[in-house]
Amino acid sequence: MSTVEITANPTIDSPTHHDEHGHHDHHHKQSFISKYIFSTDHKMISKQYLITGIIMGCFGMGMSLLFRMQLAWPDETFPLFESLLGKWGKGGKLDPNYYMALVTIHGTIMVFYVLTAGLSGTFSNLLIPLQVGARDMASPFMNMLSYWFFFLSSVVLMSSFLVETGPASSGWTVYPPLSALEKAMPGSGLGTTLWLVAIILFIVSALLGGINYIVTVLNMRTKGMSMNRLPLTIWAFLLTAVLGLLSFPVLLGAGLLLIFDRSFGTSFYLSDIHLNGVGALSNSGGSPVLYQHLFWFLGHPEVYIILMPALGISSEVISTNARKPIFGYTAMVISLIGISFLSFIVWGHHMFITGMNPFLGTMFMYVTLIIAVPSAVKTFNYLATLWKGNIRFTTGMMFAIGLVSLFISGGLTGIYLGNAALDIQLHDSYFVVAHFHLVMGSAAIFGMFAGIYHWFPKMFGKMMNKTLGTLHFWLTFISAYLVFFPMHFMGLAGVPRRYYQFSLIPEFDIWMDVNVFITVSAFLGGVAQLLFLYNFFNSIFRGEKATKNPWESNTLEWTTPVEHIHGNWPGAIPTVYRGPHEYSRPDRESDYFPQNDPGNGEPEHYHAPVPIDTSYSGPKEKPSKVFFSSFAHLFLAKKVQA
Amino acid sequence: MNTKTKYLLKLTLAVVVLLISVISINQSFDFSTVNLDQITAEKPLFGADEFKYEAPTADAGDSALSSKINWAIFIFVILLVLVIANTLDISKYISKITGKETINQNEINKWIMLIFMIVGLAAVVWEYQVHGKLILLNNSSSEHGASYDSMFTITLALTTIVFFITQFLLFWFAFTYAKKDGQKALYYSHNNKLEVIWTIIPSIVLTVLVLRGHQTWKSVVYAEDNYKGKIKKIEVFAYQFGWKARYAGEDGVLGNVDYKFISGKNELGLAYGPEVDDLLVELKDKIKLDQEAIKNLKVTLASLNIDYSAADGLKDYTTMEAIQKQIDDVMDGTTLSELEASIKRKTKQIDRIEAIKNNPKIFASTFTGSEEDDIITQEIHLSKDSLVTLNFRSRDIIHSAWLPHFRAQMNVVPGMPTKFTFKPTKSTTEAKKEFGEEFEYYLYCNKICGTSHYNMKIKVVVESQVEVDAWLKSQQPVFKKVEAVPAIMNAIDSTLATEPVNKLALK
Repeated sequence: MSTVEITANPTIDSPTHHDEHGHHDHHHKQSFISKYIFSTDHKMISKQYLITGIIMGCFGMGMSLLFRMQLAWPDETFPLFESLLGKWGKGGKLDPNYYMALVTIHGTIMVFYVLTAGLSGTFSNLLIPLQVGARDMASPFMNMLSYWFFFLSSVVLMSSFLVETGPASSGWTVYPPLSALEKAMPGSGLGTTLWLVAIILFIVSALLGGINYIVTVLNMRTKGMSMNRLPLTIWAFLLTAVLGLLSFPVLLGAGLLLIFDRSFGTSFYLSDIHLNGVGALSNSGGSPVLYQHLFWFLGHPEVYIILMPALGISSEVISTNARKPIFGYTAMVISLIGISFLSFIVWGHHMFITGMNPFLGTMFMYVTLIIAVPSAVKTFNYLATLWKGNIRFTTGMMFAIGLVSLFISGGLTGIYLGNAALDIQLHDSYFVVAHFHLVMGSAAIFGMFAGIYHWFPKMFGKMMNKTLGTLHFWLTFISAYLVFFPMHFMGLAGVPRRYYQFSLIPEFDIWMDVNVFITVSAFLGGVAQLLFLYNFFNSIFRGEKATKNPWESNTLEWTTPVEHIHGNWPGAIPTVYRGPHEYSRPDRESDYFPQNDPGNGEPEHYHAPVPIDTSYSGPKEKPSKVFFSSFAHLFLAKKVQA
Repeated sequence: MNTKTKYLLKLTLAVVVLLISVISINQSFDFSTVNLDQITAEKPLFGADEFKYEAPTADAGDSALSSKINWAIFIFVILLVLVIANTLDISKYISKITGKETINQNEINKWIMLIFMIVGLAAVVWEYQVHGKLILLNNSSSEHGASYDSMFTITLALTTIVFFITQFLLFWFAFTYAKKDGQKALYYSHNNKLEVIWTIIPSIVLTVLVLRGHQTWKSVVYAEDNYKGKIKKIEVFAYQFGWKARYAGEDGVLGNVDYKFISGKNELGLAYGPEVDDLLVELKDKIKLDQEAIKNLKVTLASLNIDYSAADGLKDYTTMEAIQKQIDDVMDGTTLSELEASIKRKTKQIDRIEAIKNNPKIFASTFTGSEEDDIITQEIHLSKDSLVTLNFRSRDIIHSAWLPHFRAQMNVVPGMPTKFTFKPTKSTTEAKKEFGEEFEYYLYCNKICGTSHYNMKIKVVVESQVEVDAWLKSQQPVFKKVEAVPAIMNAIDSTLATEPVNKLALK
């Protein structure tokens, strides 16, 4: 196959080769297939991930709009349902089983396909080699395999819509016994088998990708790129890959055991079941709670697999566009490491009321609330980075600010849910839906958008339309809050999640108009995404040509030529002299200082002779005073001293 | 043609199409003739068959009309997006042609940030006031609910303060520190003391919360262990898709149960000898039927084919499809393997029941006779101000029993008994005064469990002990029908009724 030929191409791994030739333009001609389809170039693979992710995102969002219609207008009929879903929308009424299927696949697509592969797959692939200064991934061929496993997995998942009994419909967590017993609900038939196969393929893809990311970051950094000079994006991708590598195999195990239970008559998760229409099953001795433990052992790190790349991207984007060094680089790295470690020992907070020993609940509550500390530190560091910046509202920057806002809103409700006592009431209510859609759904998708807008010039060599981007941002941001904020109150009023309709329970009648409001807001968000799609695809072909370093950024990816070439740099790989966030140094004329710029003997870190701004504070040595005086400064709104 | 005219032409075209579509929507639908009854279906009265309810479907004419409208709206939205996109494109080109930026976006966005903050925070305050009134807080109907609510209030207060401060800072910084020409940002990369401060403050706050949470959690989950007296136990049984409650009879003991004993007449699988014997017979009969069905597969196939041709003659496509599915199942062996699996399953069930029967020790401990007077009910009645333990059991898959007004929830897991102990403090009558005459307590299913998950609930009534007892008296024990029998019959049957505990006729 043509792919092997490229892998064997010595130019990828040998910088000396490039030095000899000086330029790289006379690369051998690639066929369409080897360039666009079975490509081993990390930049092309990243584009493949992105576009697949966007397509999956359209499916995921479309499904959510469909089931939101059902929730808002449960008694009305929509011929749209029948034309789209056939027998599942007979007479324009959405079938309850299919409602569950839509909810399930929406969750699966968004969590795994968009926010894991679409986000981390795209940007790890694009940025790791470019920002650490490598010609490509450690194993380009494995990288290609990783994408194609992901693609295959997407196809298998979507094909479950073509199955007679419908796709998996036991929630994105596919808890057995519901998912294990074919007769328990229609979606637990072939649909769930396909779901499991898709997820196993997905895990293979995630592992192949993850190993590659780790190896590339650890081994292939350019000269001078020590770990403490890595951009925070790379730290985030590295730790994300480590999390994935350690937790995905557990989900693989859980999935395999579920397959055994479903198809080969084992009883890992099944015990003492009498199923309607089947009778007493022979399975005995298993425990459904075992599956939950295994699932959430992945499930919780998965939350951070989704979130950390978004946080890394926003760190980079905020620092670049605030023209300030990211505040507390070391603290940011330490909190990322802290979050990564803690994320492995908090999974039980998803299971406080599953009948697990209450003592375990106590332990999980303690560690869960500890994880809030590094998250808080990150938030404060973002705020401090913006403080006294010179902020340019590029679309990427606005999405990064939106991420911080959503991360705060969603993160704070985590303090309720991590508290075992409060979780008794809040578990599986709409409060949970609001919480994770804000902190992990919206925040991460905002990180993804920030990344897309920021690195679009690098990916496609074109600029995206800024006005459209602005419009897209504000509509998305407003609709995210309008959709998810009221859900908190619904949950607190005792409205359970995953209900097909609320009109049969008189107590929930008061929420009907809120449901309509949420659905209308969701449609507003949907329309905003059409703007994005138009902007994205239009800009690829007709966008303004990008310059080499449009955001005047420090990191290495902006030293590569606009036109993509194999091996990234035409000449030697640049050497790195300092950290990635040296913006607005007082000892420099320009407000940025590229990592590869040797400079004129400036020190690596600038140590201000006077700590900070002298205009209003008292003794400069007392940071606490500085902290509080900065508040005073806010209200007085004094002019910033340059 | 230069770029400008090209784009203006495009814009005009889009506007024209947009107008046409608006007009067509308007004309295709006469809004004055809408009969609301066609759209809003009547809500059914609450009864046993409530989830069989389906909203009346609109007739064909309406559906076609409404389809048209849907499509028109869809096209309208798409066009709207295109128009906006093109307008913005044009502004970009105009600024390119004229050589100066038409609008200073940084300045605009800075102000939107400020406006968003003000409007957003005001909206949050509004939400707290309007929807905050509807939430379940400070109105709990159980004893631990009060401490839960206070815990919640503390967390709510703390997070709200942090929310307002951080969101304010975020958008305020975005507003004040927006780019100004000729200005350089402050180079300020770290401040260890500051960072230590904002690591320690959240840590302290969270420690307070976690300790408080620990106390509340302990008082809730160990309520049964902490209470010295005897707590009344009620079994709550979940199945797809409903709930049943089981009360101990006069003997005060809940009888033994086993999922293997579940049958049509013995829904909860009580260890009641005669029913178990009936079940054994029933199972053996079913095995025989299955075996015959396997023998007759060829005959079945032939008759299915005949049915299929008959349906084909009538052009009855739905029936044809259904029969085709059956034929396929027979042809590819699905039917056979299902029948074989069924036989295997039932044989195993019989073996296991026989094993219990044949081991005198297990037999004695299983069939104790205390199940006979158990009462199975369609409602849960709790007595006010006394602790009660709900023992949860699931017949099939995981459900979750949620009593939002009592701040109580516990998953119901097959093969693993779970329980929740609490003390109701507000009777239904009192709650009706607070929440309205229509109000009833319900226990909802809160774990996705299939088709009718959204309607799986059971009514809960809190009343005085006397009322609970009276209600229990009016309920029929499952197997003991003594009260129903007239006195004279009772006398005749007294010999039978006072038979020793061992009711299982050993064959």
